[in-house]
Amino acid sequence: MSREIFFVCNSVDELGGVTTWTHQMARLFTERGHRVHVIGITGTDVPQDLGSPLAELPYATTTLSETRPPKAGPSRGLRAKVNVAEARRRSAREAGMREQAAKLTALFRAAGEGAVVIVTQVWAMEWVALADTTGPTVIGMSHESYEYSRATSRFRRVKEFYRDVDRLLLLTQEDADLWILQGLDNAGFMPNPLPFWPERPSPREEKAVLSMGRLADQKGIDMLLDAWSEAAPLHPDWTLKIYGSGEDEETLRKQCTSLGLDGSVRWMGSTSDVPGELRTGSVFVQSSRGEGFPLALLEAMATALPCAAFDCAPGVREIIRDGEDGLLASLGNTTELARRLDELMSDRALRDRMGEAARRNVRRYGTDETVRRWEELFAFLER
Amino acid sequence: METDISVVVIVYNDATRLPTAVSSVLAQTLRAVEVVIVDDCSTDGSYEVAQGLAAAHPGRVRALRLPENSGGCGAPRNHGIEHARGRYVMFLDSDDELERNACRNMLEAADRSGADLVSGLCVRVHVDSRHGKRVEWYPWLYARTRTLDSIAELPDLFVFDTLSTNKCYRRDFLLEHDLRFPVGIHYEDLLFSARAYLAADRITLIPNRVYFWNVVEKGGERSISNRRHEIANFAHRMEIHRRIDELLAERGQEELKFRKDVKFLKHDLVLHLRDLPLLDTEYRHRFAELARPYIATLDPAAYEEAQPIQAVCAYLLDREDWENLLPAADTLTNRDKISVPLVEREGRIYWCDAGHLADPEGRRILDVTDEGYHVRPLPSMFLRNRLTTYEDDGRGTIRLTGRVVNPLGRIAPGARLRGQLEFRARRRSLRTFRFPLRTLDHTGEFIDWAAEADLAGRLRPLGVIDAVWDVRLVLEVDGERLRTRLSVDGPLLDRAERLRVRPRLTRLVADRLEPHVSRRGHLSFVLTSRGPAARRARQAVDAAVAGRAGDLARAGVRGARKARRRVDSGDTKIRTYHAALLKLPVRKGLVVFESHLGKQYSDSPRAIYEEMRRRGIDFEPVWSYAGRKPEGFPADATLVRRWSWPYLRALAQAEFWIDNQGFPLKLTKRPETTYLQTWHGSALKRMGFDEPRHKLQSRPEQERYQQVLDRFDHFLIRSEHDVRTLARALRLREEVLLRTGYPRNDALVAGRSAGHSAGHRTGHRTGRTAELAAELGIPEDRRVLLYAPTFRGGTSGRARGFELPFDVEEFTRRLGDRYVLLVRSHYLDHVVLPPSVRGRVLDVTGHHDITPLLLLADALVTDYSSVMFDYALLDRPMLFYAYDWEEYANETRGTYFDLREHAPGPFVETEEALFSALADLKAADTEYAAARHRFVTEYGEYDRGDAARTIVDMFFGGGRR
Repeated sequence: MSREIFFVCNSVDELGGVTTWTHQMARLFTERGHRVHVIGITGTDVPQDLGSPLAELPYATTTLSETRPPKAGPSRGLRAKVNVAEARRRSAREAGMREQAAKLTALFRAAGEGAVVIVTQVWAMEWVALADTTGPTVIGMSHESYEYSRATSRFRRVKEFYRDVDRLLLLTQEDADLWILQGLDNAGFMPNPLPFWPERPSPREEKAVLSMGRLADQKGIDMLLDAWSEAAPLHPDWTLKIYGSGEDEETLRKQCTSLGLDGSVRWMGSTSDVPGELRTGSVFVQSSRGEGFPLALLEAMATALPCAAFDCAPGVREIIRDGEDGLLASLGNTTELARRLDELMSDRALRDRMGEAARRNVRRYGTDETVRRWEELFAFLER
Repeated sequence: METDISVVVIVYNDATRLPTAVSSVLAQTLRAVEVVIVDDCSTDGSYEVAQGLAAAHPGRVRALRLPENSGGCGAPRNHGIEHARGRYVMFLDSDDELERNACRNMLEAADRSGADLVSGLCVRVHVDSRHGKRVEWYPWLYARTRTLDSIAELPDLFVFDTLSTNKCYRRDFLLEHDLRFPVGIHYEDLLFSARAYLAADRITLIPNRVYFWNVVEKGGERSISNRRHEIANFAHRMEIHRRIDELLAERGQEELKFRKDVKFLKHDLVLHLRDLPLLDTEYRHRFAELARPYIATLDPAAYEEAQPIQAVCAYLLDREDWENLLPAADTLTNRDKISVPLVEREGRIYWCDAGHLADPEGRRILDVTDEGYHVRPLPSMFLRNRLTTYEDDGRGTIRLTGRVVNPLGRIAPGARLRGQLEFRARRRSLRTFRFPLRTLDHTGEFIDWAAEADLAGRLRPLGVIDAVWDVRLVLEVDGERLRTRLSVDGPLLDRAERLRVRPRLTRLVADRLEPHVSRRGHLSFVLTSRGPAARRARQAVDAAVAGRAGDLARAGVRGARKARRRVDSGDTKIRTYHAALLKLPVRKGLVVFESHLGKQYSDSPRAIYEEMRRRGIDFEPVWSYAGRKPEGFPADATLVRRWSWPYLRALAQAEFWIDNQGFPLKLTKRPETTYLQTWHGSALKRMGFDEPRHKLQSRPEQERYQQVLDRFDHFLIRSEHDVRTLARALRLREEVLLRTGYPRNDALVAGRSAGHSAGHRTGHRTGRTAELAAELGIPEDRRVLLYAPTFRGGTSGRARGFELPFDVEEFTRRLGDRYVLLVRSHYLDHVVLPPSVRGRVLDVTGHHDITPLLLLADALVTDYSSVMFDYALLDRPMLFYAYDWEEYANETRGTYFDLREHAPGPFVETEEALFSALADLKAADTEYAAARHRFVTEYGEYDRGDAARTIVDMFFGGGRR
């Protein structure tokens, strides 16, 4: 059955993983014969390269308003009530929001039977909540782990704005369960699809451990270096190749030098050829402090690399089957991560077995499989 | 559309609530559901209501009716199963409701996993509770989504969640296995659920709330009349249990049977035993007759899993020993209470003897030594006080007699005894009314008393707000007070009259005081209204309390309480500390001391304090203490409670902060204050930023932690090992480090030289060490061992305290004639030692300072505690009893070095090896002499015995004060 599918995002093309995901899904749904419309609430200052100009995408895109609505604090509390300027900003914001919501209502009304609205972020949901959604099925999404949300204002807003959507989708069952325990009984889950499928896997010939990610606190490269300082002395013939750039580069290089690791660590910078670079390694390592559903792991596993990673989120446990197609270490325990790396570097047969298992197992996140799951969900929510 | 789920709604004489139940199904987010109402031949028009609903929702609601009333839930539900059309079936009672998404979630889970049975969380909603109380039903079973391939994977589900209603069953599964509810017996759910669980090839659990079980609570009081019918229920219950056990036996499910036996002891039996004191003799016997044959079928090993008092109750019931069982049932309800005189035999404590101790099983089950009754201080004992007579003269005076238990003769026959009866309102008592006792006699195992109270004349309640009055007997034993409650056994109050009273408000709000038995089995009195005027006034008051005015009044009270809480909350204190207290001037000479977060007067802060006192330095000392009373803290210092306002003020104005662990993290130190961090031990296990829990923190969190550490102006160091480990892990700047050694260890360094000269190895004790030995009652000829293990919280998570990892009774048997063993657990743990080891094994956990104990000990046994680094200074034998080394070193946070290689003494991992090493201490002493020397050089090179003096010179010297 061909459907009208709306994606409502913070912005059509802001830089980030959600945008990549949105346009990947939009393309896949279009290929399946659905009519897709990507709607951004506002424009963005930091746009992402989508491969082609918006107008040439095979589906419609709309930005409701190029300018961002004015920020306003909460209306609760005595102080907020007597602050006139604040109250004025708030009412301007609310009026603006109603105007944009009316545009959404018009779009949704024009859609035929079986229409689906997918709201990719909770901020966008604040607009959708004001619109009339009696016709279409509304699916809300949160693309981060429960723990990550909990540390932000999104925790409260997810509970407030997603309470009545037809389905709230998290990345994993575990995250969904945690939201259910918070009283969101409409929570379910849907994993992200593989971004690409490498035709050629890594031959796992080079004695190199790879890491890919921004050189920023969240990616925990500092912990990776600590772990490497314990594992490297046992394997002097191996190198650690660190891909990526970022604000912490200088600090990290200093740390590397002071740990005496300059001989075994190579700073590779950013790369535009991820599949090609992945083929130059035999082991992949992820040392992040927090993740949602990390695409880097999916890509490495699809390239047949065995992975060692900190167990920092349900998404990681979901992707890596510990002991079968990769190895996990408890978050922050660098000695344990070093042991996992040591295991993989010491044992060629183990690398081969886990690498092949990884490539086989991540097929479950293939694009065909993911589209099938989405279409089943649309049908299920109409029952 | 094909019907996904049929919801069978059963109803019997519940016409008013039926529509609500049905709408909760029709309003489901899953639309493909149908309702099958089955009426159990109601007489109140329920069937007509059902027909009306069917007519209003054709195709979605059907109304069926049984030809005659079945008297239970089984027959109508079975009828519903026969007529259901959906792929799945659920059950709903007419007074309950389904959560909106329940059907959708159940269906999704079933389709995804292919389960025969899906179960979700049931929530009990207390409909008449004012605050909308909701209780989740066994939530731990539903903490996450999981699929079981057999019920054997999760026995707790089988034994605890016996409801049939929070579940969704594949209809074909019910039909294939011929699953129906039993008819003509209560507790049909239990058997049905057991069968379904056992038959299911796959079971999926979901954390979603699916079923709202609306509960109407009956009042809190217990009376005989409303319990009598429960004997019949109990018979049904036993029958159902028997049938389930048969089923388990047929299927060879031994583990499930065992788990079920344990649950029976811990829960089912407890439920009935709690009511036992209120039943009269005839009913007690019928109850025992029903229970005893069933108890005989329980696996004897199940007793081990139950709590001791539960096992004791089951055993005494089986023996029909009512005299000891009734008090045991009291302890079952009031867990802390000591209800019998207890007996001591061969160094163990038993609940009672009564001939049971001749029976090995009785001896095992009645052994309650580990409960620690014998070591509990008298004032903290909660003693059973049984009411033996209750009389009133019809004019408002009551006469009571009772007996208080005297456990293990703890109340000596010659003790000075005083006592009085206290009446206090349960909520917000404005006044306590006291009545003297007429007699109070020590009779050996009991203290008997009698009292007379003119309640009508002297008890003046206010009315309305103080509706329930509790009665206590306050006993004074040699000046120590202990409180007891009056337990009511049997039909003592059955003919008790209501007493006239005159409330202060007006007699219109209440005019009678009625004796009651509280939920916990204690005597209490409730204000009631008898006269017609009073009854009318009462109704008016109730209406007002329930209405808008009452809401407002309550909101006012709540608001006031909240404001009060806010003022005293941690946040307010921290804010005020920074905004106001830190603006106060610094007071020269004000020094705030703290040791282990205020829990002790000990360690290096104490050593520095005592050195300052010795030198006669003029300063203003403040010691921080945690807990209620500053016991054991110095009388010549100002004592402030940790986190109190005076504490914060002292910290804000201090010239010096001196502690060994850390002043509250959120309190900033002003630059004018000098923070001397003495620290509390060298490190074996990883610390600070070397610990995973700090590594995983984000940068802002790490920066906050660093700020806390940067408050230290000086940090004491015992060796270069500390520099490589602690200083690096806490990221301390080099100029902060003071290589002085620990002031607390000065005494140990002195002890070593004294020991060598005075011939410590001959066992001769002198000075304060001899005094301490005498205080502890240690004979001259016995050598002293100190067992000081490290803290092991979090790994076991058990509340019952720390269990010694070796058998102390075995220790005394083998080595008790040579050694006295001192046991010092971490200050957060506590141990219970059996009386059999009295005098030979002593608990010294309560001593503030460990240093005198180290000086006294001729040898040390530890595992990984940092006490090893200190004790090594004494150059005496050390033993490392590291029974869980692998786990400790690998699974927790890791260590800085391998203790196995560096231990300056035997490293043993089994109890047997420990005892043999202790038997030959001399060998260990000589063999490890060189290793001890190396150990001190490596980890304690700066402990030279002059740390306190050096520090006092450095900061308080120069005669400037």
